[in-house]
Amino acid sequence: MLSKKKIKKKEEIKHLKTKKRKKISLKNIKILGIRSGLDMPFLILVLLLVTIGLVMMFSASYPNAFYLHKGDSFFFIRNQAIFATIGLVLMMFVSKLNYQSLKILHLPILITSFVLLLLVLAMPPINGVRRWIQLGPIGFQPSEITKFAIILSFATLIDKNFEKMGTFKYGILPFLIIFLPSAALLALEPHISCTVIVVLLAAIMLFIGGIKLRWFAYVLAPMLGFLGYLVLFTNKLTYANTRIAGWLNPFDSASGVDTWQTRQGLYAIGSGGIFGLGLGNSRQKYLYIPEPQNDFIFAVVCEELGFIGAVIILILFATLIWRGIVISIRAKDRFGTLLGLGLTMQVGMQMILNIAVVTNTIPNTGISLPFFSYGGTSLLMLLVQMGIILSISRGSNIEKT
Amino acid sequence: MIKGSTIRMRKRILLITLMMIFLFFSILIIRLINLQIINSHNLFKMANSQQLASTKLTARRGAIYDRNMVPLAQSATAWDVVLEPNYIKNDEAREVISQGLSEILDIPKEEIIEASKKRSSYKIIKKKINSYLKDKIIEFKSQKNITSGIRLIENYKRYNPCGTLASTVLGFTGDDGQGLAGLESYYDKILKGEDGKLVSAKNAIGTDMPYDYEHMIPPKDGQNLILTIDSNIQRIAERCLKQAVEKNDARDGGFIIAMSPKTGEILALAVENNFDPNNPFELCNQDKKVLEETPDEEKQKKKSELLSKQWRNTVVNSLYYPGSVFKIIVAAMGLELGLVDENSNFNCSGGIKISDRVIRCHKRIGHGPLNFVEALCKSCNPAFISLGQKIGSKNFFDFYKMFGFHEKTGIDLPGETKDVFFSEEGNMKPINLAVASIGQNFGITPIQMATAACAIANGGELVTPYIVKEIQDKDGKKSFSKKIKRQIISSETAKRVADMMAQNTICGGAKNAYVPGFRICGKTGTSEKKEKPLIPGQKEYMSSYCGFAPVDNPQLLVLMGVNNPQGGQYYGSIVVAPNCGLFFSEALPCVGIQPQYNEEESKKYGIEIPNLVGKKISEAKTNIIDLDLKPFVIGAGSEVLSQVPSPGNLIARGGTIIIYTENNTEGSENNKVKVPNFIGMKKSEAAKIAESAGLNISVSGSSDENDIIKTQSPSGSEYVPKGTTINVVIHNDNLID
Repeated sequence: MLSKKKIKKKEEIKHLKTKKRKKISLKNIKILGIRSGLDMPFLILVLLLVTIGLVMMFSASYPNAFYLHKGDSFFFIRNQAIFATIGLVLMMFVSKLNYQSLKILHLPILITSFVLLLLVLAMPPINGVRRWIQLGPIGFQPSEITKFAIILSFATLIDKNFEKMGTFKYGILPFLIIFLPSAALLALEPHISCTVIVVLLAAIMLFIGGIKLRWFAYVLAPMLGFLGYLVLFTNKLTYANTRIAGWLNPFDSASGVDTWQTRQGLYAIGSGGIFGLGLGNSRQKYLYIPEPQNDFIFAVVCEELGFIGAVIILILFATLIWRGIVISIRAKDRFGTLLGLGLTMQVGMQMILNIAVVTNTIPNTGISLPFFSYGGTSLLMLLVQMGIILSISRGSNIEKT
Repeated sequence: MIKGSTIRMRKRILLITLMMIFLFFSILIIRLINLQIINSHNLFKMANSQQLASTKLTARRGAIYDRNMVPLAQSATAWDVVLEPNYIKNDEAREVISQGLSEILDIPKEEIIEASKKRSSYKIIKKKINSYLKDKIIEFKSQKNITSGIRLIENYKRYNPCGTLASTVLGFTGDDGQGLAGLESYYDKILKGEDGKLVSAKNAIGTDMPYDYEHMIPPKDGQNLILTIDSNIQRIAERCLKQAVEKNDARDGGFIIAMSPKTGEILALAVENNFDPNNPFELCNQDKKVLEETPDEEKQKKKSELLSKQWRNTVVNSLYYPGSVFKIIVAAMGLELGLVDENSNFNCSGGIKISDRVIRCHKRIGHGPLNFVEALCKSCNPAFISLGQKIGSKNFFDFYKMFGFHEKTGIDLPGETKDVFFSEEGNMKPINLAVASIGQNFGITPIQMATAACAIANGGELVTPYIVKEIQDKDGKKSFSKKIKRQIISSETAKRVADMMAQNTICGGAKNAYVPGFRICGKTGTSEKKEKPLIPGQKEYMSSYCGFAPVDNPQLLVLMGVNNPQGGQYYGSIVVAPNCGLFFSEALPCVGIQPQYNEEESKKYGIEIPNLVGKKISEAKTNIIDLDLKPFVIGAGSEVLSQVPSPGNLIARGGTIIIYTENNTEGSENNKVKVPNFIGMKKSEAAKIAESAGLNISVSGSSDENDIIKTQSPSGSEYVPKGTTINVVIHNDNLID
């Protein structure tokens, strides 16, 4: 059995090798009309999450909208609903495109990402950080593009260099050239949580791509050493230290750390109990939790829907990730697999990190909850990415329902 | 089959997927179980406590009244100024509010700005402002159109309408209305009531949430206290004490207790130095000087020391040696045990030898042979020491305990202390017994001494002294009455001691407290203080007087002590007794005892004033002239509406009676005259000067023509209405006790 498989694999590799050169030219790529329908479970899960997300976002945001936007309770939901609608249309459109055409776009997108990352550093800081670029009424974070750019270019390059992933020249160097400046620019904003996500995404994709595991050791060992040096022999990390102090004692304000947000989030989660206070009945959203429509929306979800509601939403996310991975694994080509996985992993990681922050499982860092947190462009981006996964699903080898 | 993934990729993908889904999700779910199920209740409570803002509704503290419902301490409505930083919308509003409040309340503006930046909806910036300032703030708010950010919350401010009157008894309250001294402290729970609460659901900026939750627990106002204190007697007592302390330059102040001996009610209680209960943390002038002289680094310590001294109620908190006043107790022991009677003979040779020491009598050459009554009147030490020896230490201690000296009296004032006897079990050496018989070397509190003396005045019952007569609120009242602890001596013994004390006032050491018209029983005392004196080698004394009147039915008992007199004189008979006489003459009418003059007194002291009210002017005039007095008519009416002095008093021959014939003329400014200074005059001279000033004098104390006036009330240079009677006391300075 095994030998047969190995032989098959080798054949596949040969087959791909011969095809490779040809593929990267527009002529050979069909823009529309991939052979079969899209993956319904995934689509339903996305629609479910978008709907629940919108309802919860409205519930969480209306006190803030009411108090801070001149009594306009619909301030946030109106924006979000508009973007969600556009996003869903775009998603369906993208799902009909051939994702393989993205291969040739990887370089322009990567360059755009770098340009925007440099541009954002010239923006006026908001709360001491430079993360937003404002274009008239619409603001967006270049980091959203960066995450996508990294996933796309890694998928493209891994696919291209697949046989040589064991070597430094092909398996490591090109990726470092893309990845290191991106991470550095993100860290400069500073946007630590996004940097962490990018690092993890890059690591996961390289791991799946098949680089030698010792490379992780080569990178991790000096990194850990440097971190240890910073913690033990310098006080450069006092900022991080106070965060950790706040994380360990969220209710002890004597530590001199502002743990207001974490504390208020925990109050909300705890107040929900098993069954919750009921939809719309959160009390903590009344200006206690700062910006409850953003990163801490899950706390309001927990307060209103209780443990049961929170677990149902976790299960929806888990199913979505599972389905996304199944779609990716069964994608018709390696590029699809890698791209689909990267995108699914991004959603999964962001969701896990967000809930871990809100429940004070890890120190507080700004990270939004996909489908739930307020932010038009980021929702738009997310739905386009979901569209790409759906596009992959059209070609993938799974039962369509 | 063409696939996008290889086996190795699949393996790796599967690994990561499993890790993510099972590991991370289970971590998150465990975390949620922990927060939403295990700790849910705690977190919910914590959330609630911030969401439910409760505003304290202060209960009104109960008032304190004297026995005639004269208010002594009250709570008036005042307002706390509360800043609501969360309601202040912008820096502009902050500026306006801070500027305005800073001007009205006289607080630095920066302080208010600082407070307004706190993340809170409730920040008190000034407590208990009066209604004038409150109105100004309301005006300011409406002028500047400020609708939020400032709140005025009702509170109460404690004040004493009678100023320093009875300040030691009343005590005072702290900033939050808690009782800190005196009755305010002792009855704090009863007076303070229970604060209420207004609980309502608030969002983080302190405005109301759309879900309904409001719950009010109304405050329960404190109960009122009605005291046994009579503010009139209290005022008299304080004046007499102050006079005695000032005249004798008493370095350590003094005390006075006036009681109703039959019931144990405290009618007056005062301690010098008095402090102003409206301003208890202010030192009195004398102490301020002391503080100024203290080096800077010790100032803080010294100040608290001086303050606690100032607040100390020496009547119940401190011990003193009763000295010869205690001889009335020893006399009672002797009579009760049948060891002596009034005619028992003693012989005083000027000293008595105990073990190997000689205790001297104050009369060095000795009193010679004398009976028991004379022994008391002359306060003969050897006589009482030998009586003490007859009583014996066991009986002595038994009686000592019976009289309540070895226990707390149970008076309802804070910090009552207990005696210090030679030994807790009553073992006494012969020398101890000897000095104890003359009231030396054991410490008791003045309230113990006064209570024991009450037993002699009331026929032998030891009562519990008390100061609160009634606790009253709108639902009803709870009264306290006389509590008898035990019968100590027979009423007959008590009467015999009282008679001896009455004799002492007529011809003994208490002569300076003699007041014509009243039958006063008294005993003076002077004890040597054993603490280290301020000036080495110089002895320090406690001079005291204890007396009650009238002898047949005592209604008023007084114990006054002057601590460490520096004015040259230190015997209680000279330092204290005259002021106690003055006290009796003014306070006895307040307990319903009017003077009744015998023939001898009328001759010596003057003429009893008739009642002229209601008579025709001409008739009244003739009446006055017939009595060898002068009439002085004010007003144009035809009938006497009122008169000064009032009927029943004695005035000297040639005195003036003012009769008023119109309303509202009494006491008006143009009828006031300056009181001359009578100190140092003989009785006859004083009478002449008083006559020419249109005033009258009433004389008490020694009846010897050559003795001079040393005490007067009101004092010289005060302004009083024409015809007012000035009480003067003639001292005999040759008395000892």
